[in-house]
Amino acid sequence: MKSKAEFDDGGLRYFVLARRGTSNGSHATEGLRTLEEALIEVGQRAGATSENGEANSPIEIMCDRADTDIRLRGRPRYDFFVDAGASDAGGEGTELQPYQGFHSAVEGLVRRHREGRLPLDRGQHLRLSPRGVFAPSQLERRKKIRETIAKYVFMSMAIALVLPVIAILGYLVIKAWPVLTPAFLLENPQNRMTAGGIWAPLVGTFFLVAISLAAAAPVGVLAGVYLNEYARDNWLTRLINLAVVNLAGVPSIVHALFGVGAFVLFAGMGRSLLAASCTLGVMTLPVIITSTREALASVPMSFREACWNMGATRWQTIRTIVLPNSVSGILTGVILQVSRAAGETAPILFTGAVFYVPVADHGWEAFLPYGLGDRCMALSMHLFTLATQVRGVSEEIQYGTAVVLIGLVLAVNSVSIGIRSYLRSRKKW
Amino acid sequence: MVTESHVRFDDVQVSYGSKVALQDISVEIPRNRIFGIIGPANSGKTTFLKCINRTIDFVPAAKVRGEVSVDGKNVFRIRNVYNLRRRIGMVFPLPVGLPLSVYDNVAYAPRRAGLRDRTQLDELVEKCLRQAVLWDEVKDRLDQLGTKLSGGQQQRLTLARALSHRPEILCLDEFSIAIDPVTTMKIEDVLLELKNEMTIVLVTNLVQQAHRLADHTAFFNASRLVEVGETEQIFSDPKDKLTGAYVTGGFG
Amino acid sequence: MSSDSLTSARPVRQLCYRLTEWLIECMIRICGWSAILFVFAIFYFVFREAAPFLWGGLDLVEFFTSPNWRPASDVRPQYGTLALLVGSLAVTGLAMLLAVPFGLGAAIYVSEFCSGKLKEVLKVVIELLSAVPSVVWGFIGYLVLGPIIMNLTGAAVGVNLLNGGIILALMSVPIIVSVGEDSLKAVPDSYREAAVSLGASRWEIVYRVLFPAAKNGLLAAVLLGVGRAIGETMAVLMVTGHAVQIPHSLVDPIRTLTATIAAKLGETVEGNDHYRVLFVIGVVLFAVTFVVNLAADLVVKGIRSEKQS
Repeated sequence: MKSKAEFDDGGLRYFVLARRGTSNGSHATEGLRTLEEALIEVGQRAGATSENGEANSPIEIMCDRADTDIRLRGRPRYDFFVDAGASDAGGEGTELQPYQGFHSAVEGLVRRHREGRLPLDRGQHLRLSPRGVFAPSQLERRKKIRETIAKYVFMSMAIALVLPVIAILGYLVIKAWPVLTPAFLLENPQNRMTAGGIWAPLVGTFFLVAISLAAAAPVGVLAGVYLNEYARDNWLTRLINLAVVNLAGVPSIVHALFGVGAFVLFAGMGRSLLAASCTLGVMTLPVIITSTREALASVPMSFREACWNMGATRWQTIRTIVLPNSVSGILTGVILQVSRAAGETAPILFTGAVFYVPVADHGWEAFLPYGLGDRCMALSMHLFTLATQVRGVSEEIQYGTAVVLIGLVLAVNSVSIGIRSYLRSRKKW
Repeated sequence: MVTESHVRFDDVQVSYGSKVALQDISVEIPRNRIFGIIGPANSGKTTFLKCINRTIDFVPAAKVRGEVSVDGKNVFRIRNVYNLRRRIGMVFPLPVGLPLSVYDNVAYAPRRAGLRDRTQLDELVEKCLRQAVLWDEVKDRLDQLGTKLSGGQQQRLTLARALSHRPEILCLDEFSIAIDPVTTMKIEDVLLELKNEMTIVLVTNLVQQAHRLADHTAFFNASRLVEVGETEQIFSDPKDKLTGAYVTGGFG
Repeated sequence: MSSDSLTSARPVRQLCYRLTEWLIECMIRICGWSAILFVFAIFYFVFREAAPFLWGGLDLVEFFTSPNWRPASDVRPQYGTLALLVGSLAVTGLAMLLAVPFGLGAAIYVSEFCSGKLKEVLKVVIELLSAVPSVVWGFIGYLVLGPIIMNLTGAAVGVNLLNGGIILALMSVPIIVSVGEDSLKAVPDSYREAAVSLGASRWEIVYRVLFPAAKNGLLAAVLLGVGRAIGETMAVLMVTGHAVQIPHSLVDPIRTLTATIAAKLGETVEGNDHYRVLFVIGVVLFAVTFVVNLAADLVVKGIRSEKQS
């Protein structure tokens, strides 16, 4: 009943465009006179193409003059969604509640048009897109973009930390390269530190660490045993825990002051290897306590109960089941403190480490250069004085000392980390 | 009468802080019998067992009043509590294999008590594993870690451990929860034999298990001992209405 | 059956064994109390050296409010630590300004956006970073960063507030990352799963679910970083310069409380006022880090009691 009159409403026609495959070009049909006819055409098309499997591409209805070049411009005025597989009816054509199938879509749109809710002016178009159930909506796509941005921002923060430090360490190694030979490690410093090697400080650090850990490790481990196995949940235990936490946070220079007040002066050790070792020992104590306690706590309570029910005493249980199964954790904690004791400077500055003590170059005295009451050299202190107080030291020697110190510390830490992951993989329960 | 009972509770009350776990418990457990204890969850059955071997000491807030005696001696006055625990074997519901070899699991208690002779240990380990119906499954892999056995095997390993210190009293707390019915039956047969050597206290949530095995049965409910008597009587002609309701599956 | 070799074995031997065990348990108890002993001991011995001057002669008002620090002066020694206090606060503040965003960002990355091998590697690297000794950081700041700062900003010396802030930030970051990551890990997976089922992206999970849930732990991480920064000695000694002055720009050299002690203790004569005032500074440092660590601990406990309730 359409008249084929020449004049119409301003020469506007409605074109149905369906994309074929991935091409952006559209297959324009002859323009239809009313939107309703265009919609019906869409319905027929959708029915026809669903067998060809092309129902996955959107269909557009474009409004334009009859004689112009039909080209989709910009975003559609209306964006409707169809889900052929949707199970619940009553969708409104939105992204989250699409029309159920093209026929309901056409019905819904025609109804809207008759209600006057679908005006389409020249140059505008309406899009009807099929939508899979799990396809991401626009909101979800935006969220995904935000998430990716966030991920890369945080990643760059992590890298910004790691990269400069690696670069710096590399720089140190490069500058120290000429001097990194075995001779550097085995020779004593000479000529007022401006030449020679670092044997005496190296040995000094070794003794400092060995003695301080020989003192601190047993006390720390037993204290950890007490806290996890014997202590009841009362005010005394809470006080001890508080003390451990605070001991761990004491600044290293305050440890130095304590060492001077308690060991050098009060205990009469004077500035000596012993006083410095004791000071280092007190410094490493809290972390040994905490890591022992954690290692012990990782042994399940059911093991202990099984032993108690067999008549074993608390200590027997600890000795035979708990301690053997927490050795790895305890060892990790102790080894970490080895590296810390080796690197610390402040606690030994005034309690026993000195810049220079003459040390034998050969013979057994080169291996046992310091008595307990003697002052000693230490690698960390050596680095400090070389860098800040000695004139005329070549750069290589300074960088070399730094590299040896870092290398020592990192090597010990890596051993500890290695032990930890090896033993984690061999879990017994 | 007094010489017959192995374990005796006199007016015992146990509380955890403000919560009462057991009250007005007075009961005698006769020697060389299987004494069954039934009752719904949280009725105090596990607390009862913990009082016998004094593992109630390990529960931080527990307070015990009244007297619990083994062989006439009050357990809370005994000086060497470890000896007491060695005379009592305990099997808990959840299987626990110690992180030692199967052999060392069973040899643990004897070693702590000083037994070092290898031949004697071998004999003891085999005997206990046989009694726990586990020997055939592990005899070729005695050095395997106890924690790597299956749940049912670990539960039998726990039983073997409990037997390894030759207890006079064997307490079992819902031992069959983690075991399949066939193995449960085998262990029940073992228990019936073991009662010639020791007194057995069997806490169970399987009413039929008590009916099958126990010579005497006690019914606990809401931290009280409701009724105790010969098993047949408890099941066919209970004096208390609640007992009757429970044994016929009415609640719990 | 009950009286076989197992339970009635050689009473003498049993007695011996019980005695040894009692001795061992005594030792364990004593070691357990040692932590309290040492904390008190530290306070006591530092205070002991400081006390004579603290009670006899030190003007506490001047101590805390005056910027004039001239303890070695023959004419009129002055013990005003204001400049030192400001120095410590300034370098700590600057360090936290740099370290907290990067540290928390890295913690979020490692905890939420990263997995498998990369995560393991990153965690190991950050752990190794925390192992670098402070004297090495000082060395790096002094010899490497100093000249860079001088080139970039035209400053007269490379050892100044900026150098100290950057180096301290690099030192504090690992602890912020590891404690922060631990507290993010402690948020139950059920929170994350609930959010995912509501359609949240990972970023939304982080700022809508994790931050509020882990805020106590993250706060504790920052507090611990602050504690570490305030107490740091060797690195700041080497890179902040030796000027006792209140800084007016980022490239002004300053001196912190810790560096003052480290620099001067060796030069002072035991027993005189200059020596003792350094111990007074030690007492102040002890008190400050005590408070900061206590706060961090309370914050962490706050989480635990929240979780239980």
